[in-house]
Amino acid sequence: MLEPGDSPAEMTQTPYAPDKTVRARVPTRFSATGPQPLSGEPIIRAHDFSLFYGEKAGVRKITMDIHPQSVTAIIGPSGCGKSTFLRSINRMNDLIPHVRAEGRLEVAGIDVYDRRVNLPNLRQQVGMVFQKPNPFPKSIYDNVAYGRRFQGFRHRGELDEAVERCLRAAALWDEVKDNLRKSALALSGGQQQRLCIARALATQPKVLLMDEPCSALDPIATGRIEELIADLKNVYTIVIVTHNMQQAARVSERTAFFCLGELIEYDRTSVIFTKPAKKQTEDYVTGRFG
Amino acid sequence: MGRVADALRLKQGGAAADFDRPLLLTPGENLAGYIGSHAGRAALFLVTATSVVAVLLIFVFIIREALAFFVDPAALPPLDWTSAGSAFAWTWAALSSIGARLAELLGGTQWYPEAANPEFGALSILVGSLYVTGGALLIAVPVGLLAAVCLSDILPFAARQTVKPLVEILAAIPSVAYGFFAVLVLAPWMQEHLHISTGTNALNAAIILAVMAIPTIVSVSEDSLTAVGRELREASYACGATRAETMVKVVIPAAHSGIIAAVILGMMRAIGETMVVWMASGNAAQIPSPWWDLTQSVRTMTATIAGEMGETPQGSDHYRALFAIGLLLLAFTFALNLVTEHFLHRVRRAGGASR
Amino acid sequence: MTRQPPSTDPVQPGSLLRLRGAMDRMFTGLASGSVLLIALALAVVLAPMLWRGAGAVVFKGTVEFRRMQLEQFHRGDPSTLSDELAEISRARQPVYDMLDRFSRGIATEQLEEEARQLYREFGKQLDRRDTPAQQRTELRSLAKQLRDDFTEAAQSSDKAAAQEALERVLKHADEPRLKGTVAEGFFRMARDYGRIVETVDLGRRVEYAKALGEVRDAIQALFGPRPGEPRPPLVMDQYGATRWDVAEKQLARLLTAEKWVEVKPGQPLQRVDVPREREFAGTDLVPLFPLVRERARDMLRPQTTIYWQYFIDDSLSGHYFGGVGPEILGTLLVTVLAIAFALPLGVVSAAYLVECAGDGRTVRLIRTCINTLAGVPSIVFGLFGLAFFVIFLLPKFGLPQGSSVLAGGLTLGLLVLPIIIRASEEAIRSVPATYKEAALALGASRLRCFVTVMLPAALPGILTGVILSVSRAAGETAPILFTAAVAMGTTSWPPWEAITKPAVTLAYSSYNLAVGDRLAALVPHNQYGMVMTLILLVLILNIAAILVRSHMAKRLRGQ
Repeated sequence: MLEPGDSPAEMTQTPYAPDKTVRARVPTRFSATGPQPLSGEPIIRAHDFSLFYGEKAGVRKITMDIHPQSVTAIIGPSGCGKSTFLRSINRMNDLIPHVRAEGRLEVAGIDVYDRRVNLPNLRQQVGMVFQKPNPFPKSIYDNVAYGRRFQGFRHRGELDEAVERCLRAAALWDEVKDNLRKSALALSGGQQQRLCIARALATQPKVLLMDEPCSALDPIATGRIEELIADLKNVYTIVIVTHNMQQAARVSERTAFFCLGELIEYDRTSVIFTKPAKKQTEDYVTGRFG
Repeated sequence: MGRVADALRLKQGGAAADFDRPLLLTPGENLAGYIGSHAGRAALFLVTATSVVAVLLIFVFIIREALAFFVDPAALPPLDWTSAGSAFAWTWAALSSIGARLAELLGGTQWYPEAANPEFGALSILVGSLYVTGGALLIAVPVGLLAAVCLSDILPFAARQTVKPLVEILAAIPSVAYGFFAVLVLAPWMQEHLHISTGTNALNAAIILAVMAIPTIVSVSEDSLTAVGRELREASYACGATRAETMVKVVIPAAHSGIIAAVILGMMRAIGETMVVWMASGNAAQIPSPWWDLTQSVRTMTATIAGEMGETPQGSDHYRALFAIGLLLLAFTFALNLVTEHFLHRVRRAGGASR
Repeated sequence: MTRQPPSTDPVQPGSLLRLRGAMDRMFTGLASGSVLLIALALAVVLAPMLWRGAGAVVFKGTVEFRRMQLEQFHRGDPSTLSDELAEISRARQPVYDMLDRFSRGIATEQLEEEARQLYREFGKQLDRRDTPAQQRTELRSLAKQLRDDFTEAAQSSDKAAAQEALERVLKHADEPRLKGTVAEGFFRMARDYGRIVETVDLGRRVEYAKALGEVRDAIQALFGPRPGEPRPPLVMDQYGATRWDVAEKQLARLLTAEKWVEVKPGQPLQRVDVPREREFAGTDLVPLFPLVRERARDMLRPQTTIYWQYFIDDSLSGHYFGGVGPEILGTLLVTVLAIAFALPLGVVSAAYLVECAGDGRTVRLIRTCINTLAGVPSIVFGLFGLAFFVIFLLPKFGLPQGSSVLAGGLTLGLLVLPIIIRASEEAIRSVPATYKEAALALGASRLRCFVTVMLPAALPGILTGVILSVSRAAGETAPILFTAAVAMGTTSWPPWEAITKPAVTLAYSSYNLAVGDRLAALVPHNQYGMVMTLILLVLILNIAAILVRSHMAKRLRGQ
């Protein structure tokens, strides 16, 4: 559970302090056919979840809970299954042939690997931002409006308003408001990534999955994204995979350490980075391997 | 309340709207989705299968008419499926009829389909196709292969950007235009400068067909030469080989599957070409004597079909004979196609493995 | 101790190294030579056809051309044309006069008829004047004598005899009783004929007649039919030389006669060119030739003409005049039909192959079939189109059995289907997978993702495939030989009427003009013009494909 006053580990100096205000939680409602969790309940639950590519295991027996309106970072060396786990949450792993899941991975109480899951609805409400910014080769407007359009919003005014709101939320509005018809590919890398975030926001998600969103960006752009994450977390649940430990320390409240497909340790960020319980975690965090 | 919540105009409470869209499909939706996706896939599959249907239809309809040339149904003994003897007799009669007609077609050199006693010996026509194709390949393969080598290894990038479109344009020129050139420009030139009686002959057709086959050979060979990759070339140069030695001893052998495919594709282009040979080969159904004299007129299969079909009444023996020749052509190119596919498959596998 | 210098023994003897270097250079030379050879072949093949074909559009057109354009195509200003026509008829008149005069000397039947006519007239004149009977008989017999003498002179092939007969006629020239009567015509005719007798070799009258016939034909080919003569039935005979280059050829035919002489006994006859002045030497037809030679420009008035309507006009008289409009239309109709048929099928097939198909046996079968379709010779497509579409399928839908644009379009559609499938498949495959991922992650269904993201991104490749297919379909002749194309006739309009009928196409008509039509050899510029139009069409399409590819690739990169 989040506690007031949590701050990142002292070992990192950062100007990007997270928002410390704690707000009263409004009980969240779920209208899905399934259990009705009360407020504060985890929004994403994994219980002994494993994902196999053919015979090889991508992740093995992961058990962790992610709570709403928090930022959870997943760290670990390359090839340890961070992205695999992340992509399992919104079933993006289905794109890979011969993929098989075991165990339970619940979002809002529904096992996402249930055969009856409404995939488009799931993905609309669990949004994803990718490692390399991938705006469509369309205009800025069309990129952001893409998701809204097929949710049924076609009216010009509604779309305009939605596009503006999302671009504002992604801290991109001021830079592009003069020419929304410009091709999205003409923007800089950092701007493209913020555009991708705005695009993801347009489908009104609850959860934002971010797969190494800053690894392709320069430090200044990275800083702006991290600032944005700090703003976004008041509204969305964010799970961010990163190979940059300092970034994890800066932005997240809880951190999970994966290694070779298994979840080694999952705790508050301050704990992971100052007094980790497992030796493996400490070795990784202090840079002895990785 | 937070900048983002303000921007998104969210209500007091701050959280984005809840999971208001159901995460599970109702049974109705599930069924509809199931049916929809499978029906969609089936529809796509059916559309894609039109190419299969088309090939089948082509074979069926050509064989139907050609078969009537090989076997005359009225001349067969009556067929009674229940009796083994009758079935055997019928099959034997059919097969021997096919055999006899085939032998006549492939063995006889007299092609007089409109005579009172029609003769359907297509050997001279087949030989004509052979001459013209062989001559074309004789010119096109060395030139095409050397040009492909030049394109892949010798020319600088800027020059390559100019030469590749040139080759593409050469490939795009319609065959009628080539035929036009062959008849109105090349034939008189040949007649004058080579002192021969006619300018439309096997040599003329072979030259033009070579020009038409070269772009195919160049582009497929160049693709396979490039697919060999830099590693092999670098290894050879590092051993001190000259460029010629590298190409001849290392790269070309490594790309041999693709090059063979290129040659066969070029051969298919040459064999299947109609207009050029119709206009330029002279259309005399004869085997040149002496055999090496290419300056005599010949006739090819394609030209025979194209030239005689217009005046042939439907359903006559001549008509069916032309379809029989068409069937020969189809069967031959189909076989070549399969061979090419085999070689190209090997290129793709090898290329994938080397990466 | 001094150090030994490093061994200077090369690993290889120098001669082998030089040989290898030489082989390398030769190889490079051969390879570069091949590329140059290809470029040369391209230039050699295209240049004459494009150059000569351009002559169908840009040329020196004569007044005959303008007359033809006005009368057949209703183009041009009638008043300026009639002014021009008046001027040239003034220029041409001396020619016709000379011809008439000479031909009167040759065609003696006419003279004889004139003489008989004069005699009859004279008789009637005598009756009208109420001459006393005795005088009448005298004068009559005198006139008869004149007539007979003149006829004798006209019929004689001997110069002396003719001249003597003419003398006998002219002896009575001063006869007072004949003054003021039509009988004076005899003397006039005698004098005229006398001049001809002096100059013309009467023994060669038959030869002259033949040569005169050739001269007349050449003049007609140059200037068209004489004003006042009945209009010839064939359009191509109704006008003279419409182009200056054709006129120059006709001029040469006028000024020089072709004779085949036996140079050596037993050897084939050799052609000898004899200037017609020599042929008609001594006669008073001789000044006709230098007159025409020098004043030809005034008689024909050549002007540089840009006949861009060549691409729109119908053709007349089997492509003797006019343009290639119907052929272009026919080609476009057949091609558009082919693409309309093949494009949806091809793109959907490509979508299936990329998105849904695995690697199973069925898919490999499908791919083999696509490759087979690509490899079928075009004439076999023609046979199939004949056997299946023309004879079997379309009659089931009510179409009369026979060539139609529909059959040709369907056949060509099958021909280009593999091209579109391959190009579309490559285009769809080369769309970066990240777009698909992003679209799916946003909750789009697979169908929506394909239609809204992948298809638009693949559009340049698909468009290139379409343009290349159009170019291929426009150039193919064999598939439409038995299914759509005809040699004579025109392409109907509007399209829904045209598709059930055959059409003329650039491809087939090029073939026809090159080999089939003896008439066409008379107008080489039209032959070349047709094939040049086809080549230009194909070249433009290919260049458009290249441009589309690079333009839309730039757009995809965000510029």
